[in-house]
Amino acid sequence: MTRFLHGRNLLFVGVGAAALVVALVLILVSVLGSSNAETTPPTPPTQTAADGSTAPAKAPGAAATAALFRGVPQQLNQLGNPKAKVTMIEFADPQCPFCRQFALDALPAIVKEYVRTGKVKLVLFGIPIIGQNSEDGLRAVYAAGLQNKLWNFMDLLYKSQGAENSGWITDALLRQIGDSIPGFDTDKMMADRRSSDVDAALAASEQQASNARVDRTPTFFAGPTGGTLQQIPVTALTPEAFRPTLDSLTR
Amino acid sequence: MTSDRRLRAAIALLALAGAGVTAYLVYARYSGTRLVCTTGGCETVQHSKYAKAAGIPVAVLGLVAYLAVLATTLTGRIEAAAIGAAIVFAGLAFAIYLIVIQVAVIDAICQWCLASDAILAVLAVLSAERLRRLAGRP
Repeated sequence: MTRFLHGRNLLFVGVGAAALVVALVLILVSVLGSSNAETTPPTPPTQTAADGSTAPAKAPGAAATAALFRGVPQQLNQLGNPKAKVTMIEFADPQCPFCRQFALDALPAIVKEYVRTGKVKLVLFGIPIIGQNSEDGLRAVYAAGLQNKLWNFMDLLYKSQGAENSGWITDALLRQIGDSIPGFDTDKMMADRRSSDVDAALAASEQQASNARVDRTPTFFAGPTGGTLQQIPVTALTPEAFRPTLDSLTR
Repeated sequence: MTSDRRLRAAIALLALAGAGVTAYLVYARYSGTRLVCTTGGCETVQHSKYAKAAGIPVAVLGLVAYLAVLATTLTGRIEAAAIGAAIVFAGLAFAIYLIVIQVAVIDAICQWCLASDAILAVLAVLSAERLRRLAGRP
């Protein structure tokens, strides 16, 4: 051993050891920093485990939402291949029960069959038509869009939906949802809710809704990307209700 | 001697390229400019909580490291080669950890990070070779 740790070998071992120590310190700091960020909300929603200990609770359906959108590109309010042949737009309000039903019953199949395959890209325009609490939610949703996690955030918001205008969209809920999205910066999202980017996104959504004469949610449009989109005549909020339109457009 | 100079020049060029990439990321971060990104995940990665270590943006750490490696090429001393190699190896190990985080946790890939990773990998080979040659001298 002492013979090995001599001259040239000693130099290599020293350089390697120094590099290893620095790298381990960096990784440790990174891991600790990211976990601290997750556990410092002002009012952490907690759940009590069987042994009586408490831990920050994940938002309902967090694992399923993460799996649904894993690997699908997102850019602000868009989901899927930006060059997809077909664009489908949804106008939605986080407080609207039918929007929730679409997200739970139809969206997973649409993402799997049309978005993951690169045929269709989805665009979400959030419009606060139910009440002030809708705007509270949408500001967080668009702030999540600045981190390209808008679809994850909206999906988790639906999964925690309460009664309309009951004030269910609280800062604590928004933080809980943010902390349930892998790699998400919840503090940044909370701060970005009042940013000019989010103001602009909300204004743009309202303008789109006004141009398209949308007065209820959910309302859907689809058509060739870059071309004229037509409203989808929706009879039910199931995958089957959307297949005829999407199949004919993607054919 | 000539080959050491060539190696140093190659390392200096790569360190400059790495500094350029990280400087762009630092600039975009502090100016609020949107990154040019074909992989679609640059903003996601850049704004994730893993983009900072101890409150310092990883891009800033990378820029400082590349400039330090560049500085070590200004002299032919073995100590400089050893320090340069240690920085590059540490950077490469940390970069591998960050690739795992991008793929497994954040679920987004940043092309600029990958460019820096590729530069680091080549730098690691060249730095090891530089150290080996200097250490092999009587």
